[in-house]
Amino acid sequence: MNRIHALGTGIWQIPLLILLAGLVVPHLLSSGFHLRLASIVCIYTILCVGFNLLYGYAGQISMGQQGFFALGAYAYALLTQAGWPFYAALPASLLVCAGVTLVIGVPLLRLRSHYLAMASLCFGLIFAGVASRWIDVTGGTAGMMVPSLKVAGHLVSRTELYYGLVVIAVAVLLLQNFIVGTHLGRVLYSLRGDETAAESLGVNVTAYKLRVFVLSSVLAGLAGVGFALVSRQVNPSFGEFPILVTILTVSVVGGLGTRYGALLGAIVVVLAPQGLTAFGDLETLLYGVCLLLFLLFMPHGLSGFLRALCLRLFRPAAAKPAPRLKVSP
Amino acid sequence: MEQIGVILLAGLTNGSVYGLVGLSISLIYGTNRVINFAQGEFVMLGVMSAILFMVTCALPLLPAIAAVLGVVLVAALALEFGVYQPLLRRGAPPLTIMIGTLAAAIIATGAALLVWGPLQLYVPNVLPLEAMRVGPLITNPQQIAIIVVFAALLALTWFLLYRTRFGLCIRATGVNARVALLMGIRSRRIVRFGFLFSALISGIVGLLVGPLLGGQVGMGVTLTVKGFMAAILGGLGSPFAAAAGGVLIALVEALVAGYGSSLYAEPIIFALILMILFFRPYGLLGDFEAGRH
Repeated sequence: MNRIHALGTGIWQIPLLILLAGLVVPHLLSSGFHLRLASIVCIYTILCVGFNLLYGYAGQISMGQQGFFALGAYAYALLTQAGWPFYAALPASLLVCAGVTLVIGVPLLRLRSHYLAMASLCFGLIFAGVASRWIDVTGGTAGMMVPSLKVAGHLVSRTELYYGLVVIAVAVLLLQNFIVGTHLGRVLYSLRGDETAAESLGVNVTAYKLRVFVLSSVLAGLAGVGFALVSRQVNPSFGEFPILVTILTVSVVGGLGTRYGALLGAIVVVLAPQGLTAFGDLETLLYGVCLLLFLLFMPHGLSGFLRALCLRLFRPAAAKPAPRLKVSP
Repeated sequence: MEQIGVILLAGLTNGSVYGLVGLSISLIYGTNRVINFAQGEFVMLGVMSAILFMVTCALPLLPAIAAVLGVVLVAALALEFGVYQPLLRRGAPPLTIMIGTLAAAIIATGAALLVWGPLQLYVPNVLPLEAMRVGPLITNPQQIAIIVVFAALLALTWFLLYRTRFGLCIRATGVNARVALLMGIRSRRIVRFGFLFSALISGIVGLLVGPLLGGQVGMGVTLTVKGFMAAILGGLGSPFAAAAGGVLIALVEALVAGYGSSLYAEPIIFALILMILFFRPYGLLGDFEAGRH
């Protein structure tokens, strides 16, 4: 615990600050469009915390997270269409995500590195393909409308929806901090380091890989439901390549294997294109160049950069007992 | 009989394209354990620069082909010096370098978007596209050229890898780059050769496939994904397994499209690959790699 406090990043202090900041934000915004952007930041945070736990901490890359994102959204849309209320449809769609992950996860997690990446990408592609072609159920490329959220007879406004998303995103961050700060986090680190060594130390490798995979896809599904509610529709683009590129970009820009990388990355990745649209045709090019520059010059993302900055600024003051600071990669 | 002939021929043509992209990906992977997400962009650059040199600049055929291959080779060098080397120097793991090549693919698409715009363009054909009969089959010279080039490049790669000293160096680097370096093999050069050779193959693919697919700056991603699937299905460790995987994917795709519905061809292929990976985690022919883990 000493080490954690020395860094000033306890499990709950920073998420509390984020919660307060998130609750203040709507009062500073003028238009509904900005509120939408803020909601999307929360959604990407939830999505990428899941990816970060899976790849950043446990070292298991999945390029099928966009598939689970879309799966959650579609499950929710179909269940609401069938007349389910929100409080039943949400857990049910998360259960669907967890169930599908369990079924494909057992064989999938036998694969390693590139093979795992490609097999999970296969899953994402199958899902996007089916979603755009099975027109009777999914509505094809046009997708489906998702009715506005009603809880106990009260029609939830966009601002209230945003508050809900902020609370969920902070809860997800807390969950992540809890996992990373306890023995579970050590287990995940050990999976990333060397599976054989982890196994010889008594870690049930298969079980933990499956657990973190299920958790991350449930978080992806949760983010998908959020996105469906904010967009008030679902369509096959939820499960397509650009979402995967966004997940990777958020994680790289924010910093893989860091606690607040997902949030920082989401803020930058959502807000930066708003500035980039001014460049018109140059947008795609600049997006790629920025991603590359981040990979090259901030290998630990914004989070690692800020941490290094803080250490440089505050280290002289905290130099007395100088607990060894282990900067996680 | 007529129908199955046409279907198989179409499958073989597409299979040659997927197979060559898979072969390129596997060649690079064999030298440095990096999956090149920008491989399809090389094909895209080949197609688009063919338009530039043959239509816009109206160069004669041979200089135009040389110029196209030149563009692709420069792009390969840019990828190596701009993305691979710097990331390697900073000690990035292979999966991070893979994300780097994804960034390179986005950059290539973005740059191509500036030059050629987002519209589908007409691509000039090197060979005539008129229908001709070969025995019972109806085909055209372009299709035959793709299949012949596929066979020729496979033979060339095999010769290079298994009948030359240089090929021995490549294979040694593939087995263990560090030990190869200690044995006096300049593995950096091998890696550079991998990038250049695979870009050259992709450029040739671009020249041939352009008239069939049409030229659009976003075409690279699909080809990359198909190439990957080919390499993963066959086994990343061997270029020939990857090429075989490509042919298999395209044949299944053509058969599903021909006898079932083309709508579901892609999901069915991916589902098949997923199932095969469950039983053969290192690809159909991937025993070599399995032994290394």
